[in-house]
Amino acid sequence: MNFLNVEELQRLFLFLLRRIFQSIFVLFGLSILIFLLSRVLPGDPARMALGARAPQETIQRLRDEMHLDEPLLQQYQIWFTNALGGDLGDSLRTRRPVVDDIVEFLPASMELVLLAGVISAIGGITLGTLSARHKDSWIDNLVRVVSYMGVVTPAFVVAIIFLTFFTTAEFGLDLFPPIGRLSSGFEPPPRVTGLYTVDSLLAGQFDTFINALHHLILPSLALALGSLSQEARITRSTMSDNLTRDYIAAERALGIPEKTVTGKFLLKPSLIPTVSIFGLDFAANLSNAFLVEVIFNWPGISRYATTAMLYKDLNAIAAVILILGVTFIVVNILVDLVVGILDPRIRLRGARSD
Amino acid sequence: MRKLLVLTLLSLLVFASAALAQDESQLRITFSWDTDIDPAVGDDFSSSHALANIYDTLVFPNKDASVDAWVAESWELSDDFLTLTFNLRQGVLFHDGSELQASDVAYSFDRLRAVGEGYAYLMPDATVEAVDEYTVQFNLSQPDPFAVDKMIRLYIANEEVVRANYDMESDLYGEHGDYGRNFLLTNSAGSGPYEVTDYPLVGYLEMRRWDSWWNADNFHESAADVVTYVDTTEAATVRSLMLNDELEITDAWQSIEGLQALDAVDGIDVMAIPSMTSFYYMMNTRLAPLDDVHCRRALAYAYDYDQVVALEWPGTQTMIGPVPQSLGGHTSDLTIYGRDLDKAQAELAQCQYADNIADYPIDVHWISQVPFEEQFALLFQANMADIGVTVNVLSTPWGTVVENAANMETSPHIVTIYVSTDLPEAGLMLQQRYTSPTANTWQQNEWLLDEDLDSRITDALLTMDRDERFAKYAALQQEIADQSYSLFLYDQLEKHAFKTFVDWRPEENSRVMGYQIFAPFIGVDG
Repeated sequence: MNFLNVEELQRLFLFLLRRIFQSIFVLFGLSILIFLLSRVLPGDPARMALGARAPQETIQRLRDEMHLDEPLLQQYQIWFTNALGGDLGDSLRTRRPVVDDIVEFLPASMELVLLAGVISAIGGITLGTLSARHKDSWIDNLVRVVSYMGVVTPAFVVAIIFLTFFTTAEFGLDLFPPIGRLSSGFEPPPRVTGLYTVDSLLAGQFDTFINALHHLILPSLALALGSLSQEARITRSTMSDNLTRDYIAAERALGIPEKTVTGKFLLKPSLIPTVSIFGLDFAANLSNAFLVEVIFNWPGISRYATTAMLYKDLNAIAAVILILGVTFIVVNILVDLVVGILDPRIRLRGARSD
Repeated sequence: MRKLLVLTLLSLLVFASAALAQDESQLRITFSWDTDIDPAVGDDFSSSHALANIYDTLVFPNKDASVDAWVAESWELSDDFLTLTFNLRQGVLFHDGSELQASDVAYSFDRLRAVGEGYAYLMPDATVEAVDEYTVQFNLSQPDPFAVDKMIRLYIANEEVVRANYDMESDLYGEHGDYGRNFLLTNSAGSGPYEVTDYPLVGYLEMRRWDSWWNADNFHESAADVVTYVDTTEAATVRSLMLNDELEITDAWQSIEGLQALDAVDGIDVMAIPSMTSFYYMMNTRLAPLDDVHCRRALAYAYDYDQVVALEWPGTQTMIGPVPQSLGGHTSDLTIYGRDLDKAQAELAQCQYADNIADYPIDVHWISQVPFEEQFALLFQANMADIGVTVNVLSTPWGTVVENAANMETSPHIVTIYVSTDLPEAGLMLQQRYTSPTANTWQQNEWLLDEDLDSRITDALLTMDRDERFAKYAALQQEIADQSYSLFLYDQLEKHAFKTFVDWRPEENSRVMGYQIFAPFIGVDG
């Protein structure tokens, strides 16, 4: 790591500051957009929340509570002021603060997306490297076919296939539980992070950890397959391209072992586009996990958000979109940092532009 | 070595995870979410089922479209029909062990009215007082023949427990803070046969048997120890759960094809239960050409109802008149429309728009979220072409349907909707389908706004004598059928796949929503 000198740390600090400053405007714009869009969806949110037969005075009370009869600008002003104070309002569906819902549902999705990220990163880079090293061999062809299938098959189709083949005795492969985060009879571990696998380890509950991991594998795999395939293709393509560069030929001519050439001089620069795509995939998985969460009955934020849309749950919609926006921004900043580590030219260019 | 490690880890996962022995008997049912377990909030299908299992009520609906004594041992109605007194059973225990008393009933009624959600709309207009520990009195503002029947929706909550859990930081209900809403969102305070043990709001609702239930002698001998409502209707998931022995009864929203596939599996059957729901084509009688009764009748005679029911589950029956046949007071003695193109042409010839009917295309809106409805709309389109009527079939999201229904101008020619009623009486369905107060809601696209009809339906509903009331219902049904305000498609069967080892006899239960899957009466000796 050559990031540790003071000058570079200063540059890093300035870089983060600049990105955070830009992000404030992005989030502000996003909040206005989603606030307006959610209000043009058809249907009265209060009526939808309370049902067709709720008395008019009850509906009106909820409308008053939600300030739905105020002008749009004033509604936004109220929402924005409250949001700055950490109050994102109450959900019309769950009837509790949206913040409580997010605390409840976000960790479930995070756990899913994190494992999917690990699977896609390791799997994608490994397959891509294998494919590049054995270019035009049967291995390369096999990885290509599998990757194409992975890219074009939506995650929910993979989820249904997994559910059908790996959870029932019908095909003799009832290897995984079909739904939920824990089997009946298991208590969730004491909450620290909300990630059952992490919390159970922290609490020393190994049985619960195994059970939670067992439930996590299938939905994570289903979610990971698309990004894994994409990353495999990109890694393969960049590595193949770099393989023909003069500096690789020179290193080989100097007698540097092939493992070192591949690991240190070929893989590292080849990972830059993969990491960029990985960052986008990771954040996108958080919002794209809806059908996977539905199929595996996973109590996550993606499913919560989609249901909120259908019910016109205004506060929930706005809050979740903001959370997703923040996730995108944070992940992309991290990606920029990682890319900087992988490619000194970018780091130096960034320094010059400062 | 690595392969061995992976295999070992996988085996460990499978066996360790499955190692937890399930000693307790389970009844697991999938439901379409949300499930509101607050007795002053829940009123949909899954919520009504949950509430019936968690809370007791004064009276209990029976299969004869009437009610039996339940927590109330008896009741009296004063001669002027304005004072209704219930005498409570002694020794009924809440889940915390305290005794259910008259004050709890009065509190639950007041709370339901104050919150104003759930089944509040159904409660009689009344004040309530606890006369003594075991006597509760309702003072009605006007005679109400259904006052006793409506008490099936007054779920009795433990006042002490709810009060102890008020969030006083909220000023929503004045001195009552949040009226315990936040607490009752995920907790129960009832005395019913099952007690909520785990409810994370989404995913599942877990309830455990309350062995000190006052009616414990009537638990099925193999009633489940644990009842779990599973939050999914996704076909692939439901099928996997059934095949994996992790589900005993499916939800009522599986497709015909999905149910047929499950029915073909050994150990799984399909139960089709008559419901209080019917499928209507609601015609906007203010919009040409449907403002002419002859045009409406022409459509009614041109639609092929046999084909309609053939698209549904075997045993489905065409509606006879404007209310489901399962309701008390339904009559079959009325105009029945079947496909008869001669009659359709004859009616069309009398319609004021007959000469230029091609200039009046009819828009049929079916609900996008219920794709099954499209096939009926396409059949309608094809059938109407036979008499020269053009039909545009349009998929419309539910939110838009509700919004359109709010105004006469935006209500389409026809919207296709399933409607159910709260209590098993024909008059109540007539009230919600054809009286003016519902004209701007999704329950009535017909826009009748007929004051005379309103007053006659209201008069029928206020008639205390049952036979006399039913006679008035019959006359109203005949008139509505004759005017052909709606097309009456079929009475819906509620369909569930279930494991054959489950001893479930819904035909012995009431058809009121929430009582078909009443867990204490279901055996799971599997």
